Amino acid sequence: MSDATYWLGGLFLPVFPLSMAFNAVFARVRNATLRSALLLAWPQMGLAMVLAAHRPVPGWLLALALFTSALYAFRAIGLRDVGQWVGYLATSGWALLWIAVANRTSADLLHLYALAFSVPLVLLALLGARLEEHFGAAYIGLYGGLAQMVPRMAGVLVCVVLAAVATPLSPSFFAMLATVVTITPTAPWAALALLGTWLLWSWAGVRLLQGLVVGPVDGVKAPDLGLASTWAYAAVLLVLVGSGFYLAGGAL
Amino acid sequence: MTMEQLIVVVVALPLVSAASIQLFSTALGRRAARLSVTALLLTFVLAVVLLVTSLVRGGSGQITLAGSWGILLFDPLSSLMAAVIAGISLIVHIYSVRYMAEEAGYARFFVLLDVMTATLLLMVAAGDLITLLIAWHLVGFLLYFLLGHDSRSQTAHRYAFWTLITYRLGDLPLLLAAGFLYHAYGTWSLTEIFARLGSGPAMHSVLGLSLPGLVAGLVALAAFARSAQFLLHTWLPYTMAGPTPVSALMHAGIVNAGGFLINRFAPVFVHTEGVLPWVFIVGLITALIGSTLMLTQNDIKKSLGYSTMGQMGFMIMECGVGAFSLAIFHLISHGLFKGTLFLGAGGVIHAAREDDGVPKDSLYTFVVEKRPARTRRPWLLMAAITLAVPVTILVVAHSLVSPDFFQEQGAIVLLFFGWVTGAQLIFATYRMRAGNLWRLVMLSIFSFAVVIVGYTLISHAFDVFLYPDAAFREQIYAAANINVLRFDILVGVITGLIVAGWLMTYYAEQNGRRRGDQPGRLWLAFYALVSREFYLTDLYTRLARALVAGATRLNIWLRWV
Repeated sequence: MSDATYWLGGLFLPVFPLSMAFNAVFARVRNATLRSALLLAWPQMGLAMVLAAHRPVPGWLLALALFTSALYAFRAIGLRDVGQWVGYLATSGWALLWIAVANRTSADLLHLYALAFSVPLVLLALLGARLEEHFGAAYIGLYGGLAQMVPRMAGVLVCVVLAAVATPLSPSFFAMLATVVTITPTAPWAALALLGTWLLWSWAGVRLLQGLVVGPVDGVKAPDLGLASTWAYAAVLLVLVGSGFYLAGGAL
Repeated sequence: MTMEQLIVVVVALPLVSAASIQLFSTALGRRAARLSVTALLLTFVLAVVLLVTSLVRGGSGQITLAGSWGILLFDPLSSLMAAVIAGISLIVHIYSVRYMAEEAGYARFFVLLDVMTATLLLMVAAGDLITLLIAWHLVGFLLYFLLGHDSRSQTAHRYAFWTLITYRLGDLPLLLAAGFLYHAYGTWSLTEIFARLGSGPAMHSVLGLSLPGLVAGLVALAAFARSAQFLLHTWLPYTMAGPTPVSALMHAGIVNAGGFLINRFAPVFVHTEGVLPWVFIVGLITALIGSTLMLTQNDIKKSLGYSTMGQMGFMIMECGVGAFSLAIFHLISHGLFKGTLFLGAGGVIHAAREDDGVPKDSLYTFVVEKRPARTRRPWLLMAAITLAVPVTILVVAHSLVSPDFFQEQGAIVLLFFGWVTGAQLIFATYRMRAGNLWRLVMLSIFSFAVVIVGYTLISHAFDVFLYPDAAFREQIYAAANINVLRFDILVGVITGLIVAGWLMTYYAEQNGRRRGDQPGRLWLAFYALVSREFYLTDLYTRLARALVAGATRLNIWLRWV
């Protein structure tokens, strides 16, 4: 792997401080479709570059990737903007792909891992855009009470956030499990750091839900998700669960 | 249908019910609850069939639903726990039909309750590490949503969040343990792992530690978080803002999972040295602190919460002395009585608002006002009865079922514990006023005898059912043993402390009036410490706030990118 590929790899499978570039770009892009495309394509490009290089990943890069993942997970617990939350969680999840690369995970599985981290965040970005459209901002703690106001949307939001923080049956859960199991015997301290990051994801996820879904309705009115949209989200979530089982079969 | 297939049905039935209610909630309306209760009734009946079959036929089997994982076990532990969970869940379901009728999200509540029941059943039947991890992990999230069922209540969600974070902390050691076991044995199947571990326990080591010891330690840590052991307990008394049926299910079923987990990994614990004594110490500290905190609460539900903490301490202590099956008996009996207390708490509070209904006699002043009766009885005679009777009953009862029990330190600890509590009971009873002293003494001795003989015999029955192999049972006790000299010193010191406590109480009782009623400064400081729950809640709250503030400050320094 040449130096240039390292830099590019570190940009697209973000490691700190290169990760700031992705988050800066993500913050500037306000269009939901573009954000979704970015979330889907960014890590795939990184993987393509890294896999094409056919070089082992140095130890210091793995340490930096773990640090990046933990850093952005930690920073996510202090966030209020849903868009930034999506960007930070994406950075935290994608950085862990370096560990899977170092463990010589097959290319197909690596691409699936990246999708496992990206797809729930795409759904969350779309929901965030909808919140911005109706409330002027997708901001944790600004209004709350979505469960009372727009129950369907709140239900979908809960499921999507759970999938994003790698809750069981989502594919990211199996990706995390495979990564933890792979590094535990060789680097138990790294596994511990990884688990700590996973814990911070849960914390950040629950803070997001509590700030949006929980609480009394403060008089603001907004239309709920239509039946067709709800079914569409549910279908994607079901596909995610199915792919989780598929991933479990291949990775574990 | 084989028993292995039946256990799949037992796990699947609540899931089917949940899916049906979710899909057809509009059409079903209030009938959603009826559907859920019917499904649970069927689940309970099938779980009882499983248990009876296991009792009659014995043996064990398993069924694999996916390639290398998705294994469900049919064995004594899974069949017993499935029957208990289905039974408690059925009661909670029936109670909820009317209790939750006025609440918003009626159908959602039953969906969550059904999914939680299915997850708990999956957890106890899990025959591989992945299935166990999925179920173990999911319980925390489902409990979060059940406790926060009232989506308007920030308070309910705040404490549900504490629960979730503690449970997630408990997930981490189990994940690490799974990683070590899979790497060492190359399989997810628990049966295969335990078989390979048994054939060569010293074959693997990690970081200079024996693999069984390390894994057992991690499993114990996971159990501590789930069963609210000291330092990981603060969520338990504060989750009372959730619906009462959820509190009942949590205290009667979910919180007991630590005891189950240690039992499931018993084949790992038998190959360890020094892990179980630590488990005992953690349980002992939890039992002491939980019981102390319970006594200082003036809120019935919070008091029940700390009572559960104390009971969980006892359960973990039992595991620590090698009495694994006794811990299962304890968790079942605790589940039943605590579930009943929670489901009855609302009625008690309601009735107490009208009239406390308690006659202001000496029993009231003793139990509620904590003031002993003034009547004196022949003290030396009562002290002799107090010290001699419990130990005689315990030795006789235990020797009936296990003549060589003096070889087992764990059994001695249990006898010792029974002696202390039994003596305390009789000692306390004697201080109460009674018309006929001997009748009172005989009744208290008789009730104590029934409890202890029953406890000993039942624990033996559980031992034989859950661990039919006598050699394995001995191995568990052996793993809990410590150096004999250290053990003897420990027993001596504790006996001395307890007897000194009794003497101090007697002395204070005799001279209390002369010294005046002013409590000492030390006593007041201790009371303040206990009433503030050792400031742990404040400490954790500050720590959490500091972390969030730190994250925000970091975001500002890094310009939010």
